[in-house]
Amino acid sequence: MRKPVLHPLRPRIRYVNPRFQGPAVLAFAAIVATGGAIFWRLVDSEFQRVFLHAAIRGHYAFDSTYDIVRDLLAWHLAGLFVGVFLTGSVLVLLLVAATRHGIGKAVDSLRGSADGDLSTPTGTGSIGEFHRFGKKIDAARSDTLASVLKIRSEAAALADGGISPEEFRLRWDELKHRIRGIAP
Amino acid sequence: MSGPEAAGGGPLIHRRYVFGLLLRLCVNFAGGVGILFVILFFALSRSLPGDYEGVFHALRNLSPFLRPILAVSVLVYALLACGSTSALCVYILHKVAGPLYRMELILDQYRSGATTRTVSFRHDDQIQALAHAFNLWIGTLRLDRHRWLATMMDAERHCLQDEATCRAKMEEALRKVAGDMARYR
Repeated sequence: MRKPVLHPLRPRIRYVNPRFQGPAVLAFAAIVATGGAIFWRLVDSEFQRVFLHAAIRGHYAFDSTYDIVRDLLAWHLAGLFVGVFLTGSVLVLLLVAATRHGIGKAVDSLRGSADGDLSTPTGTGSIGEFHRFGKKIDAARSDTLASVLKIRSEAAALADGGISPEEFRLRWDELKHRIRGIAP
Repeated sequence: MSGPEAAGGGPLIHRRYVFGLLLRLCVNFAGGVGILFVILFFALSRSLPGDYEGVFHALRNLSPFLRPILAVSVLVYALLACGSTSALCVYILHKVAGPLYRMELILDQYRSGATTRTVSFRHDDQIQALAHAFNLWIGTLRLDRHRWLATMMDAERHCLQDEATCRAKMEEALRKVAGDMARYR
C-alpha cells in the first residue's frame, strides 16, 4: 500500500515592522484613552448631579442606582462607542491614504526606473516610514545609475582608441566583469 | 482603494481589506464598550435600602465612591480596548508592514551586490504592485545586461580573425553599449 507523501508544514512568516505598526498602535491607543477620559469626565459630573437630584426629589421608585442612570449611561456609552469608532475609522482612512500615496510614489519610481529614469527622486513624502523607504529606493537607484554611468564612460573611453592592445584587453575584461555586476 | 498609481499591478490596498479592518475595529470597540457597561452595571445595580431615610443617605453618600468606581471602570476599559486594538493593528497591518519590511531587506541585499531574486509577497498581502514594479525594474536591468554582454561577446568572436578586425569590432561594440546605456539618466 502506498503511503501518502507528507509535506513538512511551512511556518507562516509574520513580518512585524515596529516603525510602521508602532505609531498606528499608539494613535489607536491615544484615541481609546482620550475617549475613555472624556467619558469619565462627562459621566462623573452627570452622575453626581443626577444622584443628588434624585436624593432631594424623593419618591424613590427605583431598586438600585442603576435604575436612576440607565438611560444616561446608555447614551454616554453609545456616544463613547460612536466617538471612538468614528475617530478610529478616520485614522484608518488616513493610514490607507498615506500608504496609497507613499507606496504609489515608490511604485511609480520603480516603473520609471525600468524606463531608464534613475535620478528623479521617489518623493514618497515626509511621513516617517514611507520617507525612509523612499530613501532606500532612491539609494538603490542611485547606486545603479552610478554603476551604469561608470561603465558607460569606461566603454566610451575604450572605444576612443589610443590604448595598447594589452591594456585594451585588460580593461575590456574588467568592463565585462563590471557589467556582470549589474542586477546580479 | 485602488488608485491611478496602482494601474497595471492591481490595487495597492484592496477595498475588502479596508472594510475588514473597519469591521474588526467596530467589533473591537463595541466589545470594549460592552465590557465597560457590564462593569458599571454590576457596580451600580446593588439594591438600595428599603426605607426612605436609607435611600436618601445612600444617594447623598454615593459621591465619594462614585468617582473611584468610574475611574477604575474606565481604566479597565481603556486597558482592554488598547490591548485588543493594538493586537488587531499588529495583526491587520502586517499585511502592509510585512511587504515593506521584505522590500527593505531586498533593497539592502541588492545594494550589497548579492544575487537578487524575484520578489513575491504572500498571496493575501497588500501593495503587491510594489513587488511587480521592483521585478519589472530588475528584469529590465538584467535584459539590458544580457544584451550588453552579448554585444561584447559577439565582438570577441571576430578575434579569431586578424587583430585589426577584432579591435575594430570591439570598439564598435563598446560604442553600441555606451550608446545603449545613454537611456539611463
